[in-house]
Amino acid sequence: MLLSPNGASRSLAAVFTPIKSRGLVDEVCGRIEQAVETGLLTSGQRLPNETELAAALGVSAVTAREALSQLRASGIIRTARGRSGGSFIADNVLPSRERALAQLHELSRLQIRDLALHYQAIAAACAGVAARRSDAADIATLRSFIPSADDDSLSWRLALSEFLLEVAAIARSARLARELIRLQADLGTLTLLPCADAGYRGRTTVILEDVAAAIEAHDPGAAETGIKAHISATTDWLLTEQAKRY
Amino acid sequence: MSDTTSTAGPSAGQAEPGPAERAEPGPAELAAAELDATIAGIEHHLAAWAADTGAALAAMSGKVTGTAVDKLIRPMVEELVQLPGGYAAGAGFIANAGLLGPERSYIAWWQGPDLEHVDALANFSPNSISRYVKAEWFRIPVETGRAHVTGPYVDFLCTDEYVLTFTHPVFTRPDGPVAGIVGIDVTVQRVERGAMPALRRIGGRATLANPDGRAVVSAAPDIDAGDLISPAEPCAHYPVGRTFTLWSDATGL
Repeated sequence: MLLSPNGASRSLAAVFTPIKSRGLVDEVCGRIEQAVETGLLTSGQRLPNETELAAALGVSAVTAREALSQLRASGIIRTARGRSGGSFIADNVLPSRERALAQLHELSRLQIRDLALHYQAIAAACAGVAARRSDAADIATLRSFIPSADDDSLSWRLALSEFLLEVAAIARSARLARELIRLQADLGTLTLLPCADAGYRGRTTVILEDVAAAIEAHDPGAAETGIKAHISATTDWLLTEQAKRY
Repeated sequence: MSDTTSTAGPSAGQAEPGPAERAEPGPAELAAAELDATIAGIEHHLAAWAADTGAALAAMSGKVTGTAVDKLIRPMVEELVQLPGGYAAGAGFIANAGLLGPERSYIAWWQGPDLEHVDALANFSPNSISRYVKAEWFRIPVETGRAHVTGPYVDFLCTDEYVLTFTHPVFTRPDGPVAGIVGIDVTVQRVERGAMPALRRIGGRATLANPDGRAVVSAAPDIDAGDLISPAEPCAHYPVGRTFTLWSDATGL
């Protein structure tokens, strides 16, 4: 056995973990869900057939067919038969409170806390570097993602994720940016829940203004503190909500 | 650029040389000229591609379709990204609203040696133009009718890499509206490999900078790509391509 005390066997184990064959199908589904959430594809809109979809995304027809059936099963698309048939983006497909709550209840408190810790580490690193590298144009773009109090919770959720991605863009680190995108995918629709709470929205606006000001003032310490406070506030809200289920 | 002087060579003195001495380029000038030729080469290639694309689009009879655009653009992208030692990580064409339909854009963009089709889902969206109008690499050539270099920036749409995007407007009529843009993505990594030998010949703090005074590549260990820099006087400035400048001696802000 390769169980050396310095733990080399653990990284070896990861190498031999079977690669999930569903990876590509999930990837295609993820792209389409993302296109729906960001408003690129809208309810009622016709999707390309599986041959067109396969060609556009550079996957096999089998993968495209599987992806379409997975999307159908999860209610993202509906399929109509006949002459005017095809696959359409379903109605009421946008992230809903019900779906987000279901996701929250599937997660343990430990998972939520660990995810938040990872998210905090990456976002704080982005904020610190962003404070070193920002210019005036960066700050104007960053502030444009601070949502206004009367936006709905869907717009809030999108704006918050865009705000954090913009911090990564200002940091100009491709690796940190990719990691942040992955973490946001792991968070899924969870962040929709606090966005429906006016109190959370008010506190968040103040924090985001502080983060933007710190990045503008080239103050890495304050930028890191601010972004961590934002993620803590979100996590605390989610843990409080999750506790109600017991 | 007008403030190019010959005080830049590592062994050059501080004294301002007379005009007669300028005739013979020093090692720094030669190194800068080499880098300029590389970047200008990308820009000229792109300008020629834009002209050819405009002419081909103008010659299309009837309605311009996505399939026709793909057929026109893909061979050139293939040539660009598969060129041994080439600079393009990805390249393509993006239609302005109006070419294929109102509010509708069309993206014919591929990246990597396997020609991965980028953002292809957007082509099924009726409001796809909204996806590009705000992006600097699309907006500026469309608004000004002139070539533009964006970055270095983290490209979330295509490569997820730290890149420079060279874009050029495409016209189907000389006085007409901008029909779209052609562009080439060049990773900062690729520029680094191409530029480091020239930078090292100029000096240990020689830095290639964009027009905002942001480092693209630096020979100095304490200046990273993306850092804002200022000149450490005496600093010679050499033009590189249309918009970049090579600074002989830079310092981080």
